[in-house]
Amino acid sequence: MMDRIIFGDNQFFGINHMSEEKAQALSEKFRDLKAITNVIDAAYDCGIHAFMLNTNERAKEICDHLRSQSSLYNDLRLYPSMPYAHKYAGLVAEKGIFGAVKEVIISDNRAGTILGILTRGSQLFFTRDMTKVMELLIDAEMKVFRGLDVKVIFLQNIVTDLLLGYQVKDVFIAFVSYIKEKYGVEAGFVTMNLPGLVNFLLECGIENPIVCSSINKIGHLMNPDKEIYEKAISEKKFRPIAMSIFGSGSVKPKEAVEYVCRQPNIKSIVFGASSREHIEETKQLIESSFG
Amino acid sequence: MLKAGFIGMGRMGITHFSILNTHPSVKIVAICDQSKVMLNIFKKYLDVAIFSDYKKMIEKSGLDFVIISTPPDSHPEIVRTAIAHNLHTFVEKPFAINVAQGKEVLDRFNGKFLVNQVGYVNRFNDVFLQVKNLLDHNLIGEIKNFKFEMHGCTVLKDAKSGWRGKKSLGGGCMYEFASHCIDLVIYLIGEPDKVGGSILQSIFSSDVEDLVASTFIYDSGISGTIFVNWSDGSYRKPTNTIEIFGTKGKILADKHAYKIFLREADELSGFHQGWNTRYITDFAKSVRFYVRGNEFTRQLDYFIDFIEQRDSNNINSFAEALKTDIIIDKIIKDYEERAK
Repeated sequence: MMDRIIFGDNQFFGINHMSEEKAQALSEKFRDLKAITNVIDAAYDCGIHAFMLNTNERAKEICDHLRSQSSLYNDLRLYPSMPYAHKYAGLVAEKGIFGAVKEVIISDNRAGTILGILTRGSQLFFTRDMTKVMELLIDAEMKVFRGLDVKVIFLQNIVTDLLLGYQVKDVFIAFVSYIKEKYGVEAGFVTMNLPGLVNFLLECGIENPIVCSSINKIGHLMNPDKEIYEKAISEKKFRPIAMSIFGSGSVKPKEAVEYVCRQPNIKSIVFGASSREHIEETKQLIESSFG
Repeated sequence: MLKAGFIGMGRMGITHFSILNTHPSVKIVAICDQSKVMLNIFKKYLDVAIFSDYKKMIEKSGLDFVIISTPPDSHPEIVRTAIAHNLHTFVEKPFAINVAQGKEVLDRFNGKFLVNQVGYVNRFNDVFLQVKNLLDHNLIGEIKNFKFEMHGCTVLKDAKSGWRGKKSLGGGCMYEFASHCIDLVIYLIGEPDKVGGSILQSIFSSDVEDLVASTFIYDSGISGTIFVNWSDGSYRKPTNTIEIFGTKGKILADKHAYKIFLREADELSGFHQGWNTRYITDFAKSVRFYVRGNEFTRQLDYFIDFIEQRDSNNINSFAEALKTDIIIDKIIKDYEERAK
C-alpha cells in the first residue's frame, strides 16, 4: 500500500512554477539544512511519514541527516524521483550527452570501483546497450538513499515525457523490471501527459502502473486537458498520484482538495509546504475529504 | 503524412524528435548525426534510417521537411541544401552567424513556397504572448523605454570541449543566450536603428563572451537596454525578464508571470488602476503533448500547421530571424570599434 499523503520537496529547492520571485525566496529560506529538516520534522510530527525526494544536490545532505538520526525517523518512507534534470543540463552543455552520462556514473562511484565501471562503462557507451547504461545511471542516482526505506522509485517527468515521445516500450519495461529486481520496490512515473502515458504503459504490459501527475481544478500542467485526465482516471486501471493540487497556489486549499478527492481511484496526494501550520491544515483537509 | 528528417541529435534535436514523433500528421523517417553512438541507439530502438551525411539523407529519404538542430555555423550550408530540395525547414536559433550568408540563403527561396521557421521559442511562451497582446492593444500607451534581461547558469567554468565554448562554431553567450533576448526585443518592440555602449565580457570562458550588454536606440525616440549573462550561478535555469515603460503604464514580465501598472484603470481588459499581477496559471493553455515546456510543442505544431495549410506567412521566419543576426552583428561591431 502506498501512503495516502506524501510530503513533496519542491519548496526546499527554490522551485515554484508560478513566480520566480517566490522561488528565490524559498531557495534563500531553505539554504540551511536545518531549515529543511525542521519542516520535515514538522511533517513527521503531524503524522506524515512519507516523503518524495528528488535526487538533486540537496538530497544527499537530507539523506545523511535521516540516516544519522535514524532513531527519530524509524517509520519514515521515501519516494525518490530521479534524475534531477537540472543537474545534467550544465554537464550536457559542457561535455555533450554521452560525456555527461559517463561523468555522472563515474563521479557517483567511489575510487575503488571507478576503474571497473570506467572500463565496463566505456564499452557500454560505445555499444548499443542502453539498458545497461540506464541501470548504471539508476544505481548512481540511488546511492544517496542507501540504508533508507524506499517505497516507490519514480522516473522524473522531464525524462519520462521525453522518452514517452519516443514510444520505445523496451525502455519503460526495463526501468520497471530493474527497479523491482535490484531494489525490490515498484517503479512509478511522473508526467505532464498522464492520459498518454497511462495508455502507453498499459500497452507495454505494465499492469496497474503508478503515475504521478499534476491534477488540479484549473487544469494547470494537465496535457492535453483536464477532461481527458478525468476520463483516464475514472476508466483506466492504474494508480494515480496527484501533485500540484493547488495549481501552484492559485486554487484555494479547500476547493483544491475537494476537487482531487472527487476523482475516483486517486491513491495518494503529494503536497509541499514550508510551515507547520500549512502542513497541519492541508493534512486535515485531505483526511477529511479523502475519507 | 508529412515525412520528416532530423539533422543534429543534440539536446534540442532530441527534444524536437520526442515532440514530433507524437504528432498525428508526421512520420519521422530519417536522422543524421555525427555521433555513431547516437545513430546506433536510434537504429536499435526506432524505425528510422540513420545517416552521418545530411546531403545523403536529404537525397535518399523523400522528405517533406527537415528539423535542423546543429551548431549555428553549419546552418547556412544545410539550409541551402534543404531549399534546393524543396523542403520546408525548421532550424534552431540563431539562423546564421554571418549576415551576408543569411541574406544569401534567403535569396534562394526566390518565390518558392516553403515554410521556414527559426527556433525562437519565447514567442510561443504563454506570458510573452500575453505581453504581445497587451502591447498590441496599446495598454501602456506609447512605449518610451525598456530593459530586457536574460540570466542563466549554463557556463560556470571554461567549457572548452563543447561547441558552445567555441566562437568559430557559433558558441558563446551572444548566439546561445542573447539571441533569444534580442529576438524578444524585435518581437515586442521592433528593431533598433542603432546600438551603442555594447559590452562583450568573458567571465569564465577563454574563447567566447559570457556576458552581453548593449543599448538600443530607435529613430522614433524609444531607447532600451539588453543585459545577458549566462554565467550567473544564482539562477537555477535560464530566465528572461522584461520591463517595458510606456506613457500610460508599464509591464514587468518573466516566463511565469507578468505585472502591469496602469495610471488609469482599463475596464475592458479588467485591469485596475495601479499594479495588476497575472500568473501563468491564470492563462496558460495546455498542449497535445508536453516536453520541457508547452512552448516547445506549440512552436513545432505551429510549423506543421503552416505546412499543412500551405501558408508560409508564419512568425519566426528566416527573414524575421535574420533581423536578430543583423543586430548581433551591429553589437559585435560596436564593441570591437571601441575596443580598438
